[in-house]
Parts: sequence; structure tokens; C-alpha cells
Amino acid sequence: MSETTNLLVSRHLKNPNKTSLTPYIFILLPIAYLTLVMFWPLLQEIVISFKDTKLMEPNGGEFVGFENYRRLLANNELSSSVWITILYTATTVVSSLVLGVISALALDIPFRGRTVARSVMLFGYAVPSVAAILVWSWMFNDRSGVLNSIADGLGMTSQKWLTSPELALWSVTMVTVWQVTPLVMLVVLAALQSVPSEVKEAAQIDGADGLNVLRSVTIPHIRPSITLVGLLVTVWTIRRFEVVYLLTGGGPSKSTNILVVGLRQTAFENYHLGEAAVFGVIGLILAIILVTASELLKKMRDL
Amino acid sequence: MSQYPSSRITRLIVRYALLLILVVIAGFPIYWMLNTALADPETLYTKDGQSSWLQLDRLPEFFNSLSTVPVFMWLRNSTFIAAGTTVLSLLLGILAGYALSRFRFRGKGVVSTLMYTTQVIPEALILVPLYGLFVSLGLINSLWGLVIANAGFALPVAAFIVKSAVDSVPYEIEEAAMVDNTPRFTVLTMIVCPLILPSLAAAAVITFFAAWNEYLFAATFLLDSGQWPASVGLASFIGQYDTPLPAVMGAAVVFSIPAIVFFLLVQRKIVSGLTAGAVKG
Repeated sequence: MSETTNLLVSRHLKNPNKTSLTPYIFILLPIAYLTLVMFWPLLQEIVISFKDTKLMEPNGGEFVGFENYRRLLANNELSSSVWITILYTATTVVSSLVLGVISALALDIPFRGRTVARSVMLFGYAVPSVAAILVWSWMFNDRSGVLNSIADGLGMTSQKWLTSPELALWSVTMVTVWQVTPLVMLVVLAALQSVPSEVKEAAQIDGADGLNVLRSVTIPHIRPSITLVGLLVTVWTIRRFEVVYLLTGGGPSKSTNILVVGLRQTAFENYHLGEAAVFGVIGLILAIILVTASELLKKMRDL
Repeated sequence: MSQYPSSRITRLIVRYALLLILVVIAGFPIYWMLNTALADPETLYTKDGQSSWLQLDRLPEFFNSLSTVPVFMWLRNSTFIAAGTTVLSLLLGILAGYALSRFRFRGKGVVSTLMYTTQVIPEALILVPLYGLFVSLGLINSLWGLVIANAGFALPVAAFIVKSAVDSVPYEIEEAAMVDNTPRFTVLTMIVCPLILPSLAAAAVITFFAAWNEYLFAATFLLDSGQWPASVGLASFIGQYDTPLPAVMGAAVVFSIPAIVFFLLVQRKIVSGLTAGAVKG
């Protein structure tokens, strides 16, 4: 639809007076604003990663070349943080895509109580993150948390959900998946509504069973939406700060120290802004690599 | 399809079982939030002291306990930050979105790429430079600082929503108005904006609650607890069990209700709004 409107609009816009200033007047303020609060700070952060700036003097510091990078790489902190971020992001994206598509498929056919079911399934997205984290941290509580009560009831052993280095990353991933799956579900649900029912019926008349229709008609039709929302979830997970910061603070023994949390801790608890900026720069590079890679994959599939 | 009645029934059972599991997983944390808010703080930490069912007879205690946590002060601060962010990002977003939809100009590709780029920048990445900037401008401990920081991320989202809404408004309507030399800006405010009101409302909800929920900037820039929004105030109770937990959960419930109500109202628009930003153009 937007393709055709765009064509229509651009035909109209062949303006005789081509050097019009009007567009720039409209765009000036928004771009100036974004430059001031986003792009200029972004540039500064890259510069700070090469300086020995400290929190007490956030606008000072001397250039030290790659010293911050070298120091962080030498004690493995940075590389383990990159690895934890990749693991956290990959697990979140894959699990939320699978659960979101299953949820959307289950909701796609009308049934009694569908609106209620869909609304409840949106809670993870609608509830403010900090409120959700508050209740999850209580549910994870070693002694009185409901998850361990349920585990007891089912005859399983209690877990140290957030305080064991082996389990903590999976626990924070679980919360993140709970938060982002509704978004996947909404996007896929919207795409499912545009699957032409004639095609599905034709396939059924030709003898295809439910799973075959799903595989050969439905999934190909919703694949672009899945790619798109997968990209969104990837970027959001790399950016997401408060789930890990508030549940584990990056611990225990740095087992959940994702890049954005490492940045905040290094800056405001170790007071070293230069080293903190290194975490940020690596995080940005990671986000750009992942976004570019998925764009490339998409192009390769279209060929 | 009636040829395979038994397989159809199996499929129905599987579907309902699956739905039940998904609804329980999605809804349980919220149920537990309500459940804890209504629990008796005396028995909460004792063995078998927790009720599995909502103790609705404790509603009066629930309302009383809200006063043990400064939730209404927090909500006032949250509202200020969220409303300021919404107004600022919508004003700038309408200008940018309209320009991206209606004009062809040199540098348009760069402008929309820049807007798109903002969506992959982690907030944490600009935290330190913004902190430095706010120290110089005296915006530490100021709710206005939060408005300024949040609007940077919200502006492009608003712009993308406005752009795709304006794309679907027939250009003839504007041409008719411009025949008598009405300035472009007046056309935008008097003719286009009223036509895209539903999208503006959706953009307002999305930007309002993004700022309502925001934690990282608020926790870093607001050092004085009197300025805290609810996100920072509630977070200060995580893992800290001195304050009765039911009171804290009660505050979380009050903080969550507006967000849930508005998101459920505009859920369809959220999809088109958020995905609009991800499709370049």
C-alpha cells in the first residue's frame, strides 16, 4: 500500500521551484535536537573511550590511545561480557520468536474468551519493566519465593535462581523473554490476519493437512514479519539494561555482566568513564554487526 | 474437514491446552503481584504463610498500606517526565514526520537513516556524555533533564508514526488548501493533524509510557529521592525487605494500571507504530 501512495505523492511533489527551503525549515529543529542529545553524545562517548576520564571530572581527561581497550582485554572482562551479551541476546531472540509465533497461531482462530486470552498474553509487554522486575525478584527469592514453592510442590529441588552463577543468566533471560514475547505475538498476529484464506482452503482441498498448510502457506507468508520483529527484539535485547541490572547487578561473579550493565558499573561504581565507554563502543559495534548481518541474510534469501 | 473428526478434536484439545499454558505463564507474575499486594506482611515469610488465592477481604489494608510508600509523589514525578517527553517528542516528531512524508529534498536519505540509527543506540551508550552535558547545564536532579534525555529516543518513533500516517492522507486535500497560499505550516496544523489524530494518539501513548517506564536515565540523573519517578522509587525496594512487601507491591500495582489500560486500548496501533520505524523509507 505504501509503495503506491509513495509513488502518487512523489508525482505530486515534482515541485517547479526545486530549491525550496521549506523542507529544511521543517527538519531543522528535529535534527538539531537529535544532534544535541543523541549524536553529539555518541561521538563524545567514542572519544572518551580513548581517554582516562574519571567520574569526578566528566568533561576532562587525557588521551591515552588504546590503553582502556588493552587493559579490559587483558583481564578478560570485556571478552566475557561480549560473550554473555551474545548468549543473552541469542537465547532471548530465539525463545521469544518461537513462543510468540506459537502464541499468535494459537490465538488466530476465533474462540470464546479470545480477547481476554490475548489481553492477558500482552501483560508482559504492557506492565512497566521495573514493576515486573520487582515481582519477578520476589518470585525468584531463594527462601520464600513462589517459584521454589512450586518446585517443592512438584517434588523438584529448590533453586538459587539469581544467586547461582550457572542459573542466573537463564533466570534473567526468562524474564526478558516474558517481556518481549507479546510484541512478537502482536506482530505475527497482524501478519496472520493477512494470510489469504482462499490459499489455505485451496491447499486443504488438495489434501494438505493442518501442519502442511502451516508449513507451505502460513509460515512463508508471515516470514517477513518474523524477520522484522526478530531484528527489533535483537536490538532491544542488546539495549535492555534494567532487567539484568536490577535482578543481579551483573553478578554473581560477573556471570550476567552484559555490556550495558558493565558500562554503568564501570562508570558509576568504579568511576572510570574511559573504560566504561569501551563497553559502550563494543556494544554499539555488536548491534551494528547484528543488524547488518540480518539485513544481508534477508537480501541473500531474496536473491 | 469433516472427513477427519477425530483429528480435529485432538487439534482443538492441543490448541486449548497450549493456550491455557501460555495464558498462565503470561499472567502469573501479574497475578502474583496482586496476590502479594493483598497478602498479610506478618505471615509472608513464614512456611505455608502465603495464600495461593487473592485475599480480597484485605482490600482496606491494601489502601492503607499505600501511604507507607511515597507512591503518589513518585507518580507525580513520573507524570511530569512522561507528559513533558510526550509533548516535546510529538511537536518535533510531527515536523520531521511531515517533512519525510511530503517533501523531496537533498539529504532526505541521510535524515531518515539518522532517525533509524537512533533506534539501535543503547541508552547506556550516551549515559556518560549526557551526564557530563547535564552537569554543565545544571540539569542533574532536574525533571526537565529527564524530559530532554527521553525525548531524544521518543522523537524518531513519533516521526515514523506520523510519516506513515501522513503517507495515507490524500495529497489533494492539502493542494486544495494551498491554492489560496495558505502557509505550509498552517496546512499541517489545521488540516493534516486533525486527519491523523488516531495515529497521533497512538504516538502519544507509546512515547508517554516509554518515559513512564524509563529507569536508567532517571536512576543516574536524579540523585535526590524527592525527584524520583516511580520506576526509580520502586527499584530502590528490590532485594530490600525492610519495607513491608505488600505495600511495595501495592505501589507497583498502582504504577502498572495506567500502562496496562492504555496499551490494551491501542495494541493494534502499537504494532504499526513500532514496525514503521524498522522499515526504512
